[in-house]
Amino acid sequence: MNFMNRISRFLKLLGLMAGASLCAEEVAPLHEQIDGLMTKDWAAAKITPAVTSTDAEFFRRLNLDLNGVIPTPAETKAFLDDRRDDKRSRAIDALLSRPEYALHMARVFDVILAERRLPAVKSYDVAATAWRGYLAESFAANKPWDVMAREILASDGSDESQPGAVKFYIARDAEPHQLTRDVARVFIGTDLQCAQCHDDPRFDDYKQADYFGIYAFVSRLSFFRDNKLNRSFVGEKAVGDVTFTSVFTTKQGKTDPRLPGGKMIADPKLEKGKEYVTAPSNSARGVPVYSRRKQLAEQMPRAQTPGFSRNLGNRLWALMFGRGLVHPLDLHHAKNPPSHPAVLAAIEQWLVQHRYDIKGCLREIALSRCYQLSSELPGGVEPPPDAFAVSAMRALTPEQLRWSLLQVTSRIDTHFIRTLDQLKKTKPAEVETKLKDWHWRKDGYELLEKQSSAVIAAFSPLPGTDDSKIDPVVDHALFLLNSPKIIELIKVAPGTSFDRWGALSDPAALAEDLYLSLLNRRPIAQETEEVTSLMKSTKTPKERAEALQPLVWGLLLSAEFRFNH
Amino acid sequence: MQPNLTRRQAIARTLGLAGAAAMAPSALAASPHRKQLLVLFLSGGASQLETWDPKPGTKFGGPFRAINTSLDGVRIGELLPRTAKIMHRLAVVRSVNSNLPDHEKGHYAIQAGRLAPGYPVLGSAVAKLLEQPGDVLPGYITLRRDGPKAYTDTGDAGFLGAKYEGVRVINGLPPDNLIVPAGINAAALQTRDAVRRAADERFLRTHAKAPINGYGTNFDQARALMQRREIFDLKVESPKDIERYGRHDFGQNCMLARRLLEAGVPCVRVVHFDWDAHQDNFYWHQMRCAEFDRTFVTLLDDLEQRGMLEHTLVVVTGEMGRTPQINNFGGRDHWGRAWSVAMAGCGIKHGVVHGMTNDLGTEVKEDEVGIGDLFHTYLTALGIDSSADYHLNGQTNPVADPAARPIKAVLA
Repeated sequence: MNFMNRISRFLKLLGLMAGASLCAEEVAPLHEQIDGLMTKDWAAAKITPAVTSTDAEFFRRLNLDLNGVIPTPAETKAFLDDRRDDKRSRAIDALLSRPEYALHMARVFDVILAERRLPAVKSYDVAATAWRGYLAESFAANKPWDVMAREILASDGSDESQPGAVKFYIARDAEPHQLTRDVARVFIGTDLQCAQCHDDPRFDDYKQADYFGIYAFVSRLSFFRDNKLNRSFVGEKAVGDVTFTSVFTTKQGKTDPRLPGGKMIADPKLEKGKEYVTAPSNSARGVPVYSRRKQLAEQMPRAQTPGFSRNLGNRLWALMFGRGLVHPLDLHHAKNPPSHPAVLAAIEQWLVQHRYDIKGCLREIALSRCYQLSSELPGGVEPPPDAFAVSAMRALTPEQLRWSLLQVTSRIDTHFIRTLDQLKKTKPAEVETKLKDWHWRKDGYELLEKQSSAVIAAFSPLPGTDDSKIDPVVDHALFLLNSPKIIELIKVAPGTSFDRWGALSDPAALAEDLYLSLLNRRPIAQETEEVTSLMKSTKTPKERAEALQPLVWGLLLSAEFRFNH
Repeated sequence: MQPNLTRRQAIARTLGLAGAAAMAPSALAASPHRKQLLVLFLSGGASQLETWDPKPGTKFGGPFRAINTSLDGVRIGELLPRTAKIMHRLAVVRSVNSNLPDHEKGHYAIQAGRLAPGYPVLGSAVAKLLEQPGDVLPGYITLRRDGPKAYTDTGDAGFLGAKYEGVRVINGLPPDNLIVPAGINAAALQTRDAVRRAADERFLRTHAKAPINGYGTNFDQARALMQRREIFDLKVESPKDIERYGRHDFGQNCMLARRLLEAGVPCVRVVHFDWDAHQDNFYWHQMRCAEFDRTFVTLLDDLEQRGMLEHTLVVVTGEMGRTPQINNFGGRDHWGRAWSVAMAGCGIKHGVVHGMTNDLGTEVKEDEVGIGDLFHTYLTALGIDSSADYHLNGQTNPVADPAARPIKAVLA
């Protein structure tokens, strides 16, 4: 079967083909499709969308979404002053090709996949460097999502080339019920929790048999700690059948591994006594000859698996808009359909045709007019959030907030300039390659992470919460107002932005630098005036810096800083 | 004059906010008759059979006896001897069918009064519905010890937004960062706050109101908490009173809850952990019930003596009950089909037992009650029209599930 035929079969299976053209070449680019479909939906719902974002709005949002941090004042200034027509698409491509893209996506997918969960014994967790390293490596190479999903689901921690990939299992103690629920939530966007005990009374499409079909893939797994190696692994038994009884009807069922909508996969017959590569014992984890876990890794990441492609499309959309087309992200079912089904179908189709190219998909979404809408309300009216007709106000994630605070204070730049100077002295030949290397950036960022771990601790929600559910609460306000940690971060100190600001004696230039640094836009006249009056009786750089500090702090507390908009 | 002050005055003038930074500590809006809510949440799911609805001597009854109560003809589990003596002050519903044998879904649905996601939980909803102009303290504070399950704080404010989110007080400690660190001058803080407010006012003119206002409210709440941080200080209570409530997290949190209600916080929830007795159910319930029984009665007595019970609704619920069937580990598992909830205080008829389960306790036999009915009942007891709607952000949502009704039999 040739490639196009295979695609066509997938699409038919997905119910996506309505006699439409098969060839990718004939179809409009995804961003045009999105805009065409959205425009139709807005017209039908009589919704006036917001105007297109200003360059400043767009650039800040794009940096947060693709690199996880607000831009530097120099970058913002260069973008605002760029007169080329295609500067937005250039910016998109530039941000997607930076090492920071891979590092940001590693942080994002850490939350998507591990959901801030930790094993019961916290010190048994997979080493953060191994897990983040695995993710960063994958995103730096733009590994297709099906490959990543396969690696993550197949991993038992023993593959020395990617020991971190086992995190999905270890973060959940390899506990079969937790895994069943999260495999369904994270990889196909459905939450089968209630179906554990009975067919979910809320949704016709969540069946107890579906729950136990997934459960059968992981029911033989267990957590294994190797104390000699100081590492955690997943062990697996070669036996164990799954039966279930409804608590309502006492109807009984028995199942082999099966994904919702798929076929049961019977175990192969193995000669008795030859079921194991390594039999499970107190000192060794079980390694069966036939692994149901590996079956899951094969079956799940395929276009035929209902929900697999849609889930990725929906999660990438949520990454860029702060809300899924299906929302909540893990509750796709007949009574909670996508707000814009055709848009989601188009993204899904694109992903299948482009082999789950995450970077390419984010690029298309970023190019759409829908993504590039302003956050200013159209005519002062707020459209419903699921219309995507105005750019939503979404609280910065803990990671975005941490890096943005470090950016504002120039801590990132200062740190890398220092490291680079060091490198120029010791290994000048390596400077060019290192600058493009995410490993080098990652090592550098790890030191900065230590300076700002209090931000993550203060702003992270409970385990199991995804980033689209983050909402500011009073604890956050108290942290930003009074925590010695935040004060340490934003005080006047050498090597921070206050050096630069203090040196600017012209109030207008100072106001411009301040607003470009903090809010990534130029100040309006009134704001310049405020800075000017604040600076009135200051003479020395030190006086200026001290006088500015409360203004800087105040702007960091503003909603305009706290939200991605 | 010092240059500092001149500068501060200058910026305050420019921002059009002269004097605004010195916002007076707003008087607490607690009029004597304001209604308040206290939820005692038995997290993990208490067994109805060891508490409100014993079935001694039956197949599933377990080892404990039932004892007489202050209410004629009504018996409850022997693990609640003190509670038995005040049954005439409670209303107990023995016929709850929530149909949700699951922690996370149960935590949400029982507290939100429906299955549909995104709604506020009881504490957040009541905080919104009982809100008065001039309120500054958080509308809803939730108390628990550390080490929660992922589902402990499920839900919360939903579409009402951050302003109505439960402020978490963990291990009885006040929220972190209630004190301005030493060495920061007051003038700088005034400038900082004036800048923040001016920036938000400007941003608000063109942007979605709810997130900006909600975020701004967090700062007002922060200030109110900083000014009133003594309400978290249990050290001012006498050792004898501390003893009366019990030297365990539930006891101390209930004492703190009383202080917070006294200070005017409209809704308080205390989470009592570890009722999820899949193993050794009877041992666990001895431990849990002993804590609950004494603290609960002490708390109700105190609320009564202080005249607070007249305007405070007390709700005792978990996210589900436990199975009648006893499993191989001597445990009872998750069960939502026939379990019990208790109420006391404002708006509640005293000395009522509503509904009935069958002889084995496996099904509701009479007067079945759903989670929506309970939610309507709580709101009605607090004098809130439970058939009303929220009108927010251009959307209309019913305050309580329109398909459900308040339980008249338990309402005063």
